[in-house]
Amino acid sequence: MSDLDAQLRKFQKELSSGTVSLALLAVLAKASEPLYGYLIAKELERVGEGVLSGKQSALYPVLRNLEGAGLLESHVEPSVSGPPRRYYRINDDGRAALRQWIAAWDATRNSLQYVLEGIH
Amino acid sequence: MNADNHARPLPTTIPEYLEQLRAALAGADPAMIQDALYDAEEYLRSELAEQAGKTEAEVIAGVAGSYGAPEEVAEIYRETEVTVNRALRAPGMRITPAAVAAAAAAPAGPTLPPPAAAPQRSLVARFFGVVLDPHTYGALFYMLLSLATGTFFFTWVVTGLSLSVSLLILIIGIPILLLFLGSVRVLSLVEGRIIETMLGVRMPRRPAYTDKSQGWLARIGAMFADGRTWLTMLYFLLMLPLGVAYFTIATTLLSLSLALMFAPLGDLLFDHPAGIWIDGVNVATAFWVWPVSVAVGALLLFGTLHLARGIGKLHGAMAKHLLVRL
Repeated sequence: MSDLDAQLRKFQKELSSGTVSLALLAVLAKASEPLYGYLIAKELERVGEGVLSGKQSALYPVLRNLEGAGLLESHVEPSVSGPPRRYYRINDDGRAALRQWIAAWDATRNSLQYVLEGIH
Repeated sequence: MNADNHARPLPTTIPEYLEQLRAALAGADPAMIQDALYDAEEYLRSELAEQAGKTEAEVIAGVAGSYGAPEEVAEIYRETEVTVNRALRAPGMRITPAAVAAAAAAPAGPTLPPPAAAPQRSLVARFFGVVLDPHTYGALFYMLLSLATGTFFFTWVVTGLSLSVSLLILIIGIPILLLFLGSVRVLSLVEGRIIETMLGVRMPRRPAYTDKSQGWLARIGAMFADGRTWLTMLYFLLMLPLGVAYFTIATTLLSLSLALMFAPLGDLLFDHPAGIWIDGVNVATAFWVWPVSVAVGALLLFGTLHLARGIGKLHGAMAKHLLVRL
C-alpha cells in the first residue's frame, strides 16, 4: 500500500517537473499585470488539480530559474503586509518559449491519449 | 519521508515557522537558506493578510497543506538547488541558455541525467584549459573592477560611520546612522550580485530575513546585534587594500606577460628598438632571446590566468563568510 503510494508520489514529482514551468509561463502570459509569487500560487491553486496542486513552495525556485533563463522579468515593490514583493512579468522570449512548449505539450498529450485509449 | 516530516509539531507563529525552516535547511548553502526564508515569509504574510480574522496558528495550519510544512519546503529547496547547480556549474561546462532552461524546466530533478563524468585530462591540458573557463575572465575582470568598487565601499563605510557616529551627539545622527546601516545592507546585496556574476559563487538574491512582527525599535536593536552588519562593514573596509592589490597584480602581470610576448613584433615590424633592460643594461641583444621571451611571456600569461581564477575562488569564499554568514 505505502509502496504504491510512494510510487505514485514519485510519478507525480516526475510529471510535475516539466509541467510546472509550462503552467507558470501560461499563468503569467494570461495575466494583464505583473504578479508576485503568492498570487501566482493562488491562481494555480484555483484551477490546479493533479500535479499542479503540489506544494506551492516549489513554485518560487522555478520562478527564479525562469527569470535566470531570461524568460521572465521581475521588479521589487514594497508591500504593507510583509517583506517587499518580487513581481514577475513574461517577456518576448518567454512568449516565444511558451508557444514552443505548448506545441510540444499538445503533441505529447495527443499521443498519450491515443496510447491510453481503451484502458479502464 | 512522510513519517518523520510530521514528527515535529506544526509551528503556530510565522517566526516559529521560519525558525523551523531554517533548522530544517541547516547545513545547506547559506545563500539558498536566505532565499528560502524570504520566499516563505512573502507567502505566509500574504496568506495572513488575505485571511483576515483567522489566527496566525490557523493560517499556518492551512499553509502546511498548500505551501508545505517547513521540512517539506526544505526538501523541495534542497532538490531544486542540486538540479540548478548541476546545470549551471558542471565542470568545464559553459553557462548556456539551454542549460538554464533545462534547469528551469526540471525543478524536481530526478529526470535530469547526471552529467557525464569529466574525462581525466592531462596536467598540460589542465594548465592550458584555463583559457576555456569563463570564471577565469570573470575573476580577471573582477580584479580590475575591484579597485573602483573597493574605493567606493571603503569611502562609503568610513564616511557614513564617522558622520553618523559624530552626529549622534545631536539628534540627527540617529536617522543618518539608520540610513547608513540600511545602505550597507543594500550594498552587500549589490556586491553579492557582482560576485555571483563574475566569480560564480552562489550569493543571496534576497535581503536577509528580518522578523517583521517586532516593533521598529526591536528591529533596529537586532540590526546592531546582528554580526552580519559589522562583518559586512569589515568586508567593505578590506575591499580597499584588496582592490588595490588585485588591480596591481592584474595590471602588472598582464602587461608584463603581454610585453614579453609582443616585444619581438615591435623589434621586427616597426623598426622600434625593443629590448629587455635590467638596471639599464639591455640583456636582449642576441636574436635567440626573442623566442625565449615569447615562451616566458606565454607561460606567464597562463600563470596569470590561473592566479586570477585562484584569487576569484578565494575572494568568493571570503565574501561568502563575511556577507552571508548565518
